[in-house]
Amino acid sequence: MNHFPEAWGRPRNDVYGAYDHSYLQTLGPKAHTSSPAVTGTSVVGVKFNGGVALATDNLASYGSLARFSDVKRLRSFGDKAMVGFGGDVSDMQYLDRLLESMDIKENYSTHGNMLNAKNLHTYLAKVFYKRRSEFNPLWNHVLVAGFDGEGEPFLSSADLLGTTFSAPHLATGFGAHLAVPILRRKFPEDTPLEEVSQEDAVAALKECLKVLFYRDARSLDKYSIAVITKDGIDLKEDEQIQGQSWAFAERIKGYGAQTV
Amino acid sequence: MDKLVAQYSRPPHQNELYNEQEQEDLSASVPPLSLKFSLPPVDNRSAFLRAMTDDHSNPSCPIKLAHGTTTLAFRFQGGIIVCTDSRATAGNWIASQTVKKVIPVSRLSRGEDKPSNDPTPGLLGTMAGGAADCQYWLRYLSQQCTLHEIRHKRRITVAAASKILANLTYAYKGYGLSMGTMLAGVTPQEGPALYYIDSDGTRLPGNLFCVGSGQTFAYGVLDAEYRYDLTEQEALNLGRRSILAAMHRDAYSGGFINLYHVKEEGWVHHGFDDMNPIFWKTKLDKGEFSNVTSEL
Amino acid sequence: MTSFMGHQSRGETIGYSFSEPTAAPVKQHSFYPYTDNGGSTLGITGSDFAILAGDTRSTSGYNINSRMVPKVFRIGGDDETGEGAQILLSVVGFAADGNALKERLDTMVRMYKYQHGKSMSVGACAQRLSTILYEKRFFPYYVHAILAGLDEEGKGALYSYDPVGSYEREQCRAAGAASSLIMPFLDNQVNFKNQYIPGSGEGHALEPKKAEPLPKNTVKQLVRDAFTSAVERHIEVGDGLQMMIITREGIEEVYHPLKKD
Repeated sequence: MNHFPEAWGRPRNDVYGAYDHSYLQTLGPKAHTSSPAVTGTSVVGVKFNGGVALATDNLASYGSLARFSDVKRLRSFGDKAMVGFGGDVSDMQYLDRLLESMDIKENYSTHGNMLNAKNLHTYLAKVFYKRRSEFNPLWNHVLVAGFDGEGEPFLSSADLLGTTFSAPHLATGFGAHLAVPILRRKFPEDTPLEEVSQEDAVAALKECLKVLFYRDARSLDKYSIAVITKDGIDLKEDEQIQGQSWAFAERIKGYGAQTV
Repeated sequence: MDKLVAQYSRPPHQNELYNEQEQEDLSASVPPLSLKFSLPPVDNRSAFLRAMTDDHSNPSCPIKLAHGTTTLAFRFQGGIIVCTDSRATAGNWIASQTVKKVIPVSRLSRGEDKPSNDPTPGLLGTMAGGAADCQYWLRYLSQQCTLHEIRHKRRITVAAASKILANLTYAYKGYGLSMGTMLAGVTPQEGPALYYIDSDGTRLPGNLFCVGSGQTFAYGVLDAEYRYDLTEQEALNLGRRSILAAMHRDAYSGGFINLYHVKEEGWVHHGFDDMNPIFWKTKLDKGEFSNVTSEL
Repeated sequence: MTSFMGHQSRGETIGYSFSEPTAAPVKQHSFYPYTDNGGSTLGITGSDFAILAGDTRSTSGYNINSRMVPKVFRIGGDDETGEGAQILLSVVGFAADGNALKERLDTMVRMYKYQHGKSMSVGACAQRLSTILYEKRFFPYYVHAILAGLDEEGKGALYSYDPVGSYEREQCRAAGAASSLIMPFLDNQVNFKNQYIPGSGEGHALEPKKAEPLPKNTVKQLVRDAFTSAVERHIEVGDGLQMMIITREGIEEVYHPLKKD
């Protein structure tokens, strides 16, 4: 302990060693050394009247390399909930195994699988939080979609630190920057859920994926989209982004060697 | 067959839930003062803690802890005077101006902390350094002192109490605790006794201590005027005046002057007073602090 | 390797299957386990009530995660809705730590009720919360907590905490992102700091105004003013104001919209 007035009570360098900044996340690309290897980008979700829609593209990148172009990042849990995974793909597969074994165990129990999307989200958030407390995080940011205990549409997010939040529409990763503003414009947050139709929600998601494909260098034009309603899950895994227009690209100037 | 399968199969995932012991610990409603601390799972724990909390080396560290600052205590013929400021800072932010930095220790003194003329039996501890460290460990000490009282049917001596605390801080040396505390008490065995204990494990008996970032200013005034044969009133005034000097010159000290007198029968509280009127009274009536102008 | 990967660190973690003896830095070294979710909380007590309030915005960096994430919770309720609770807790800082803390305290207060057959007093709960926080002294919860309730005499009680559990009973306290904006306002309006009685004297003889417990409606208005002002000047505060008012009759929850920009 330092006894000099200017730093009284603080740790002393000769006892504790110099102050080590490396524990603090510094700005710049070298944020995490235990960083994920194969990653998926954004997940986008919207609640609508009577259900939730969730979408991701089918790409798993290896750094800047578009490595696997047919990876399904939407996983169902029982027939009541969907999880959309962003972040590390191996951790996604691990979580998928975890959830599958839980689903099996639940189904073999006397009452059957009664876990709804809200329960699933609570569980996942606790798994994430426990892992981050062990400094061994599961490098994902997920969206959980389905219905809560009252049968209302449910959409919520959980990330590698265990942070959770829910909103009528959510997006992870790059989508948080690009898709959320689109969704907030299309469905202002004070819009009652009854006024958001399934068709509008699905169309909005497709729009978001298109904009993400335009601007997110780690995205792909092949995507998966799931619509969860009371009737069940409608999952389409091999969709193609329609109606692309790259006309705007010609007007982008000022990068690299091109200066005018 | 199941056994055979179990022997050669591995679960597809590790146990992601808390085990029974962990669950019990998380929900137990009673184990308040345990010595079980959760540690960050990194190689160099104190460096991690320091990176997160050392607001001096890195003013933008994420977690800023409340720190206490100027405290003093001295022995004289009539007992012991204990006096502190009341400011807690987190970085440059004044987190509180009303911290009670004198903490009663031991069961019998767990009464209401109101100014009164009846002495309350027990010891007093002071708080400088990490506010939480001092509060927690003095409370732990209080529990140990109470147990001592129950087991031995007499009050613990200040020497013994201070040794419990010093052994603890020494056991946690290098973990990153920060506390500089003084234990004051008057017991039949020892008479007036004063000990200084800090988070390095130091334990020193003495006549006079000032602890905290404002210690040098307090020492300056206290050393100049201190005699063992001060009268009670002189001693109280000297304690108050020394803290006032530290509050005036040290930016990390301020708020209210908290003044205690420890006697054989117990301790007496002599007020928790705003420093501002006391400062102006000292200046205008006695002509001290002539560095400050009194024109408005 | 680096040229493919964009940056050095990745090149090191994805390598050949045989180990490279020199490249073995501590794996978890720079995993940073905290984040700040912004927002602000505020508590004020009166003679027979306590108010705890918080905004409902959740942020990470410059992004707004959600506009409706509550920061004030009922502690020790009989069921999931928090019905029957007599203590309030607000947490601001890292939301996941805050949630974990809330759940631990809630569980403990409920266990206490089942084991002792009576509700935990606010004073006891305040001490318990302090030890919960201190148990994580070496790996702190990144939160500023405020606890509110009614004491044995029915007076409003408010306790504020630092991240590792030092605590103090106070009249009022603001915590979180905008605490440095709100706290000076409260010093002046609740504790009447730097207010003097007009005409009570000249110069240094001017008498300071004494602080008194404020009536409930005044306090409610102060809370709203504090937040509407903080929203104007802090980017991490906004969207909604969640206010919980605890009186002998129970807990009343009020929601006011705030600016959403």
